[in-house]
Amino acid sequence: MTALLRVQDLKKYFPVGKDLLGRPTQVVQAVDGVSFSVEKGRTLGIVGESGCGKSTTARLLMHLIEPDEGRISIRGKEFGNISGRHPVAELRRQMQMVFQDSYASLNPRLTIEDSIAFGPQIHGVSEREARQQARDLLEKVGLNPNVFVRRYPHELSGGQRQRVNIARALAIKPEIVLLDEAVSALDKSVQAQVLNLLSDLKKEFGLTYLFISHDLNVVQYISDDVMVMYLGQVVESGPVEQLYQNPAHPYTRALLSSVPSQTPHERKQHKVLEGDPPNPIAPPSGCRFHPRCEHARAICSSQQPETTRVEGLHQAACFMLPANPNHEKYIQLQEVSA
Amino acid sequence: MSADKLIDVRNLNVTFKGEEGPVYAVSDVSFDLAAGETLALLGESGCGKSVTMKSLMRLHPAHKTRIEGQINIDGVDLLSMRPAALSAMRGKTVSMVFQEPMLAFDPVYTVGDQIIESVMRHEGFSRVDARKRALEMLERVRIPSAAKRLDAYPHEMSGGMRQRAMIALALACKPKILLADEPTTALDATVQIQVLLLLKELQRELGMSMIFVTHDVGVAIEVADRTAVMYAGRIIEEGPVDDVLSNPWHPYTQGLLGATVHPGMDRKQALPAIPGSPPQLTRQITECAFAARCSYRTDECMKPMPAAYQAQTRAVRCIHALAEV
Ligand SMILES: Nc1ncnc2c1ncn2[C@@H]1O[C@H](COP(=O)(O)OP(=O)(O)OP(=O)(O)O)[C@@H](O)[C@H]1O
Ligand SMILES: Nc1ncnc2c1ncn2[C@@H]1O[C@H](COP(=O)(O)OP(=O)(O)OP(=O)(O)O)[C@@H](O)[C@H]1O
Ligand code: SF4
Ligand SMILES: [Mg+2]
Ligand SMILES: [Mg+2]
Repeated sequence: MTALLRVQDLKKYFPVGKDLLGRPTQVVQAVDGVSFSVEKGRTLGIVGESGCGKSTTARLLMHLIEPDEGRISIRGKEFGNISGRHPVAELRRQMQMVFQDSYASLNPRLTIEDSIAFGPQIHGVSEREARQQARDLLEKVGLNPNVFVRRYPHELSGGQRQRVNIARALAIKPEIVLLDEAVSALDKSVQAQVLNLLSDLKKEFGLTYLFISHDLNVVQYISDDVMVMYLGQVVESGPVEQLYQNPAHPYTRALLSSVPSQTPHERKQHKVLEGDPPNPIAPPSGCRFHPRCEHARAICSSQQPETTRVEGLHQAACFMLPANPNHEKYIQLQEVSA
Repeated sequence: MSADKLIDVRNLNVTFKGEEGPVYAVSDVSFDLAAGETLALLGESGCGKSVTMKSLMRLHPAHKTRIEGQINIDGVDLLSMRPAALSAMRGKTVSMVFQEPMLAFDPVYTVGDQIIESVMRHEGFSRVDARKRALEMLERVRIPSAAKRLDAYPHEMSGGMRQRAMIALALACKPKILLADEPTTALDATVQIQVLLLLKELQRELGMSMIFVTHDVGVAIEVADRTAVMYAGRIIEEGPVDDVLSNPWHPYTQGLLGATVHPGMDRKQALPAIPGSPPQLTRQITECAFAARCSYRTDECMKPMPAAYQAQTRAVRCIHALAEV
């Protein structure tokens, strides 16, 4: 099968700090060599440390910001407002995004109805039809249109705003939807309702989702494949069952074991991930996780681990994996005393 | 009112004067909180959790909002407080971590400046000392390269960093009460647990009380002593967190917990969402607000709702729930 969306070696560095002449003094390596592909009709879950570059990746895919390096293509087509590329407006018909910050992404001066109906009208839908569609969509995300169409964003609760954002993204009828923490502000019953809606739409229209979330239970439920990021890079990816049952990368393991229990009597004694949080301005050498990794050995700080097959399509970037070309070297070298 | 109550809320009603008529956002809410205690506020999206929290700091615009009832904070009657006393209290006695980080931070100032400004105002610190405190706080909430981030603008931070920076801002003046509106939803699981443990540590250190709004039952279990579950503007169930969550009495609480995605669930099955939708808050509801969606409903449920039923350490607002107990 050919991929619907393909991303190759994507990089985005943000300049930060200023010297006396106002020139940036340092860069944040927000996204540093990210590659993945998604087949039509599948859901890719993206998880990882806060600040590891998930939202930046999504914004790059939408061409809200331009990459420093790398390629993004949909069915082999590349987009961008430069000659030789397909116009970004065309991209936005195929791909829509629900933003993490539901407040900042709605125009405060537009009513809910106007916000949702705006996009389709730009793409040639008549005003009447766009308004009707806005009402239908509100109903579908569990908001009574009679109550909400004429409200303004500040008159909604966080979860209500988030659903308006979902309705707005779906209004364009895109093929690919990027959902950045799109259900995190919802209570669990409404969340269940929205997740069911997303599943239904996926079945009905063959939609493809990129689902960014910190809720690992929800990611497990909704995703076909999962990608784990750490400090601007992909450290592990693969089909959801394999990755959850047999996490290969030490960061993925730490992440999965930090999820609080949902039942009072199984309250865990948490093993907190040790070490300083990573600094994206001066990322650690070698494996970026090595200063916090309990399995790190000398090679981990001097060399970047190759992405290696765990099993089937499941892969991870860690020297501990038997298939890693440098695994022998890893074994032979001394353990680094913490 | 007993003296050890840091927060005491009685019969709180908050009504917005909307263009299309009033919105009864919070109705007859009562609860209290002792020093050092943590209450988790759970409930449906739009049920009035944030509105309740903002009332505790009187952050609603007066001309568009009607607030009735009684709010006592640290022995002071909040609703009769004058503006000067109010602004001295905000950020000092009571501090809030907002659901929307963008609301807490002004986009044109750096994150550091905003924390420094607050510390200078409330603690009377010099700029240099305030900067030290700000840096210390950013480090405590585990912001990477904290010294650099002091000079970052809010939009230059990731969602999770902004949320941690807001926690730092809220804690910078060592408040007695922390109102935290979904403070860890934007954090990954490893940082979330660190922040939760940090909050518990600071709580012990400062004897701080917390109200924690969350949709994550796991987080409630982790931090809270008690929990209150809200639905359509009212508290429908309240009690020790373990009891309520392992044995919910109210049909809404039961439905809410039943709809939660659990690890390893069958992915082909649709999730059991509660059927129907919450009532409109544009009329005053006297009957049980959950009745329209409740599978236990009888004619009794449609009569004016009596006050909450108390049973030992728990309270519930459902006439059928208690019969079962
Ligand atoms: N405009 C910007 N200028 C400078 N740095 C930025 C900018 N936007 C993002 N960054 C930095 O890039 C890194 C990645 O940010 P990003 O928002 O992609 O993280 P994320 O994975 O979405 O995190 P979260 O889970 O917290 O939302 C962070 O270190 C962030 O501070
Ligand atoms: N300024 C306002 N004018 C009119 N209605 C409002 C206003 N602010 C909030 N509301 C309504 O009041 C109700 C309670 O809102 P609130 O923000 O407290 O919900 P919440 O419980 O925090 O929900 P969430 O979990 O989604 O954040 C909502 O139905 C909302 O639409
Ligand atoms: S490569 Fe080394 S440091 Fe990195 S995760 Fe694997 S063992 Fe740990
Ligand atoms: Mg993000
Ligand atoms: Mg809220």
